Amino acid sequence: MVRKIFVRTFIAAVLIVLYLPIVWMIVFSFTDTPSFSNWNGFTFDNYINLFTGNGSNADKIQEAIWNTLFVGFFVSLLSTVLGTLGAIGLHAIRSKRIKTVYNTVNQIPLINSEIVTAIALALVFNLFATTLRITDGSWGVTALKLILAQTSFCAPYVLLNVLPRLQKSDNKIYEAALDLGCTPAKAMFKVVLPDILPGIIVGALLAFTLSIDDFVITKVNVTSFETLSTLLYGLKNGKQPLPADIRALFTIIFFVVFSLMMVLYKPRKKTDN
Amino acid sequence: MFKKFMAAPYAVFMTLFVLLPLALVLVFAFIDASDGSFDMLANFKELAKEDALGKVVKNSLVAGLSTSVICLLLGYPIAYYLNKPEFNKKGVMIGLFLAPMWVNFLLRMMATKAVFNVIGVKMGMGTVIFGLSYEFLPFMIMPLYTTIQKIDKCYIEGASDLGATPSRAFWKVTVPLSMPGILSGLTMVMIPSITTFAVTEIMSNGKMMLLGDFIYSLKADSLNMAAAISFVLLIFMAISMVISNKYNKDGDGASKGGGLW
Repeated sequence: MVRKIFVRTFIAAVLIVLYLPIVWMIVFSFTDTPSFSNWNGFTFDNYINLFTGNGSNADKIQEAIWNTLFVGFFVSLLSTVLGTLGAIGLHAIRSKRIKTVYNTVNQIPLINSEIVTAIALALVFNLFATTLRITDGSWGVTALKLILAQTSFCAPYVLLNVLPRLQKSDNKIYEAALDLGCTPAKAMFKVVLPDILPGIIVGALLAFTLSIDDFVITKVNVTSFETLSTLLYGLKNGKQPLPADIRALFTIIFFVVFSLMMVLYKPRKKTDN
Repeated sequence: MFKKFMAAPYAVFMTLFVLLPLALVLVFAFIDASDGSFDMLANFKELAKEDALGKVVKNSLVAGLSTSVICLLLGYPIAYYLNKPEFNKKGVMIGLFLAPMWVNFLLRMMATKAVFNVIGVKMGMGTVIFGLSYEFLPFMIMPLYTTIQKIDKCYIEGASDLGATPSRAFWKVTVPLSMPGILSGLTMVMIPSITTFAVTEIMSNGKMMLLGDFIYSLKADSLNMAAAISFVLLIFMAISMVISNKYNKDGDGASKGGGLW
């Protein structure tokens, strides 16, 4: 009995510490003091400012949101296509050696230090820029760089989500479809794809959240391009680490991500059992 | 046949943006930036001249080791007790421990710093270790949770049938059997926490640097020197990959917290 209370107190204490800063931020998103310590009356102004563009950082915030969503969408799309195709191909490959090579390469982006990945990508982009004579640091080139860079660590996550689905699905149905006169492409769309769709959706959402959350790889590989992460980083040395409108913005993001996670979580629970 | 070729785009992409970049790190680490010649030691000699490096390495070791130990001491009991049958809402509890991971880590660090400022905690090594433990605790809990979950309860019942006290059964059976989880948890906390970038800066008010911050600061001067340090880190990464693969034969990356997703 004593042990049980002790254990529950311990777990509760860790959770409180983990959530205190987040809860604090959410609470202070409803007051418009610049600093984080004194309460200045309840208001929705921070949220209204975000949408009307009146806040102190309004222009920057809107640009950063657009950039982040743009990059995130294409990273998610590209990772999902590459990762799904990769998983189907890898599943069909019988050679043990090739499988081992794939598994090793998949692991690299997952366990490599982010800063090392970032430096390595910077080197490769330098190489491409010199050989292809791209000197332009324009918005489009930067966005393309970011999409390629982030896809390199998001695609393996999609692959790892789709692969278990394929391993569970019955290959005989695909073969039956071929026997009954389906073209391989049609059988792929009509039989295999619906079967692995939950894995693909989870993978796509995961790639999207990983992309919008990325900081290290983005920061190292871009110069004049703000995403939400780099925008936050730029505020770190200010007198008030989290201005009022930033608190409101990230409170919204927190709840969006939280609900996304609940969606993500459901199919996984089923596969666990 | 048709299916096998579907992996081709993925293979090409990964070759271009994972393998080629790593190969370039290996090459650039040994190229002297001043004249572009191949020189095994030029970058490492330059690095040795950096006064800050000694302190950075020392700080990184202290912060990395403390963070790993703290995460293990907090994470193991959590993973262990969440596996007990008496916790009936396991999914929700695990979700609660993982959810903070989905909040931008810079934001969590800045909010934590703001809270520390309010309650008047001095920023320094202590707060850096706090921040790192905060960020990496989920990466310790998850592999531990899945490993402990897989342990066959018969072993523990067997031990107590043969007369072991519960604590003896725990130390002699459960802990050794959860070794793969402990190892992959440690690798997932130690290397990332040493090489993290920005957490240190925020949590120490810019007073401290770990390896990650140092590499980032080098990037502006010389990518070659950054590549040289990255090369050393890659060796450590390869070693930890070999170790955790050895302990985790059945894992298609599951040891890397693949079970997380």
